Amino acid sequence: MKKIVLFLVTVMAATVCMAKSSADKNTEQWKYDIECAGVGAQGTYLVKVYSYSKSQAKAQKQAIKNAVHGVIFKGVMGKGRECNSQRPLAKAEVASQHQDFFDRFFAEGGDYAKYASATGAPETSKVGKEYKVGVVVSVQKDQLRKDLEDAGVLRGLSSGF
Amino acid sequence: MKRILIFVTSLLVAVSAMAESHATKPTLMVVPSDAWCSENGYVQDFDNQGTVERIPDYKRALQSDQNLMLAISKINDMMADRGFPLKDLESNLKSIANRTAEMNVTTSKSGSTIAQSPLDMLKNTAKADIIIQLGWSVSETGPKKTLTYILRGLDSYTDKQIAGASGSGAPSMSSEVPVLLEEAVVDKMDEFTGRLEEYFNDLFDNGREGIFEVRVFDNGSGLDLESEFGGTELSEIIDDWMHQNTVEHRYSQSEASENYMLFEQVRMPLMDEKGKAMTAKVFADNLRKYLKQTYQIESKTANRGLGRAYLIIGEK
Repeated sequence: MKKIVLFLVTVMAATVCMAKSSADKNTEQWKYDIECAGVGAQGTYLVKVYSYSKSQAKAQKQAIKNAVHGVIFKGVMGKGRECNSQRPLAKAEVASQHQDFFDRFFAEGGDYAKYASATGAPETSKVGKEYKVGVVVSVQKDQLRKDLEDAGVLRGLSSGF
Repeated sequence: MKRILIFVTSLLVAVSAMAESHATKPTLMVVPSDAWCSENGYVQDFDNQGTVERIPDYKRALQSDQNLMLAISKINDMMADRGFPLKDLESNLKSIANRTAEMNVTTSKSGSTIAQSPLDMLKNTAKADIIIQLGWSVSETGPKKTLTYILRGLDSYTDKQIAGASGSGAPSMSSEVPVLLEEAVVDKMDEFTGRLEEYFNDLFDNGREGIFEVRVFDNGSGLDLESEFGGTELSEIIDDWMHQNTVEHRYSQSEASENYMLFEQVRMPLMDEKGKAMTAKVFADNLRKYLKQTYQIESKTANRGLGRAYLIIGEK
């Protein structure tokens, strides 16, 4: 009996670890596309994020994280006359300069979740062996920028003066 | 023990002085573009020594156009939110008017008025280190309105465009001009401030870009830029000084004659070696002191804001 319990606990722990490492892997790869989805309220970007994963649920879960990452590092692609492209808040090198900060920021349960919320129903399609899940996300870019400036990750317009 | 104490104290003072040093912050101001003023009739003609010139009449534009006030106010708000408050054009014009009125009535007990040179009077206009020009037009196709706008950030001294944003909004049936304008400005402001940020980063990395002019007073002394000192012409001495005192020796001498030298793209450090904020005036004063101390040459400096200065050789 003791052996069975031990076996079950080991299997469960391994499953949790694998799930976590899979999520982390998705995070590290940052495999997503981001485009504007209209004009958001002042201080926000309304974006549509397409996340890719073998698990539909995981792709959907990654949407918020990817949206925040996209606003910080990728920028938002425009969509004709509907909405304009937006430049990223930070340059690519900021990620490596503040790697510890962003590792914590984008970890499961990290602060990234404070700045975005999904709206509407997700749009799912299958691309090869993966699911492509499109989610419209509202990102509070003004607050995000301010907090990153306060944390010393981004330089404010007035810094140095 | 006493020596260690003195050393530690000196170190602390030096560190705190360095920590408190900041570069001089450039001022920014939003103004309607010349094209917009001209299109809407907010211009005035003035006689510039026989040539009629047309200049924008900001005061009348602000008093007559509600949309302009709204657009300027919106941009001011957004820049303040980014921690960079702007100079307000309307307040600036009012304070110039008040200052002029005060100066006109201020006298000493003996009845003397405040000294004012023609240069002082010429400089008494609304100005900022970076001018943000805003213009827009509305075109109508049937019942739909489309707003096209342009926002340009210009360095007042080098005349370079340092940031810009332009575009057309989506055609709209119901929206009023202020709403269309607000949408356009809000949507493009991040792009604009991003470019401004790049300009500031460049400023910190490569120094402030400025323009320096060297002229000669026509006072009959015979001193000009071709006068020799120890076998070297004064123009060469000034050029050598520029080479030694610019960031990574970046500058270009665009024009030179016996009476005039023009240095453009001069990258001056943001701080001097004492940690004091550097402006074009301070930079020009350093050259003036060098010429006085080394060659006993008298000269006078004047500036226009943070990035443009003049050195006039011959006398004060």
